[in-house]
Amino acid sequence: MKNESTVIDVPAESSSAMKGSAPLIGVARDHTTNGSGGYKRGLSIFDFLLRLAAIIAASVAAGTMFTSDETLPFFTQFLQFEAGYDDLPTFQFFVIAMSMISGYLLLSLPFSVVTIVRPLATAPRLLLLVLDTAAMAFNMAAASSAAAIGYLAHNGNQNTNWLPICQQFGDFCQKTSGAVVSSFVSVVFFIILVVLSGVALKRH
Amino acid sequence: MAKESTTIDVGEPSTVTKSSSHVAVDEKKKGFVAAAAGGGYKRGLTIFDFLLRLAAIGITIGASSVMFTAEETLPFFTQFLQFQAGYDDFPTFQFFVISIAIVASYLVLSLPFSIVSIVRPLAVVPRLILLISDTVVLTLTTAAAAAAAAIVYLAHNGNANTNWLPICQQFGDFCQATSTAVVAASISVVFFVLLIVISAIALKRH
Repeated sequence: MKNESTVIDVPAESSSAMKGSAPLIGVARDHTTNGSGGYKRGLSIFDFLLRLAAIIAASVAAGTMFTSDETLPFFTQFLQFEAGYDDLPTFQFFVIAMSMISGYLLLSLPFSVVTIVRPLATAPRLLLLVLDTAAMAFNMAAASSAAAIGYLAHNGNQNTNWLPICQQFGDFCQKTSGAVVSSFVSVVFFIILVVLSGVALKRH
Repeated sequence: MAKESTTIDVGEPSTVTKSSSHVAVDEKKKGFVAAAAGGGYKRGLTIFDFLLRLAAIGITIGASSVMFTAEETLPFFTQFLQFQAGYDDFPTFQFFVISIAIVASYLVLSLPFSIVSIVRPLAVVPRLILLISDTVVLTLTTAAAAAAAAIVYLAHNGNANTNWLPICQQFGDFCQATSTAVVAASISVVFFVLLIVISAIALKRH
């Protein structure tokens, strides 16, 4: 095997520490940070896109529930002939909560952009993770309580004599059910966002 | 300016190996120093995590059992309502009991992972597993607590527009027990949020 030799001129002023080993260690560290910065930046871009999708899901849920009014053309003995989201306090909570979730997601977009630009900074990611966890719990609470009321509206409860109102208000029930489904989709997005932030935070 | 020259031999595999292992030893030394410094507060966080898990186990078992035993039989007979109320009269409460029981058993099964994180504060994999599964279980707990809260609210207040009568006026003890269970489940939700935040802080690099 043939040996090749090369001569490198090292200026004396540049090496303040140990002369032989400092440049080698410096090169190795740079390589490691460049490598981890790459996939973390990819995770941050995916995080940003997921946030955009979650904004759409949350605002669709709030809007659909808000506009789910229905007026029946006839008059029945026991029930009102009008149904809207403001007839049920749980649905009111749902609309307010989903609007707040959409607003929070919009405000968190700049933080997500910061994590794309600086993939190794942990403070924005940690802040996003904590706020996303709280927002996810809030979102799930709204979705789940509206689902419970929606289930009651569809099936009623014989033991408590709560009649199912969906048999009269078909459109209203359809729209509220659609809003609840959209809100559950937003919850799934939040779960993925939290896990993404957790994975991107971990050290090597 | 004095210049220094050095000669590098390229081509011998033993030379390359020697220089890279020299680098690795130095890296390891530096990494070792950093590890000893970071392990202290992470171990403390994980011990707090373990204690939170024990508290959450107690609360979730309490919530599930209080809802399970929330029966009431009225001494008289009314025209429109049954004179008995139990958790199995409401599908939402059935969902509550089953899912909070699942959450309690998940917490018991997650205790070994927490212990592993205490013993090895710098290991990433157990913490990441705990973070992901805690997130999923937080979702389930919040769902159960919120759905049961919606039904408890209805039972207390009724709804004039849909002609749903408030049953708490007849079944006072039943309503009290179910409300207590819902409050306990909500407290466990707060515990889960804290657990997730602890795992995230302990995961982050320096």
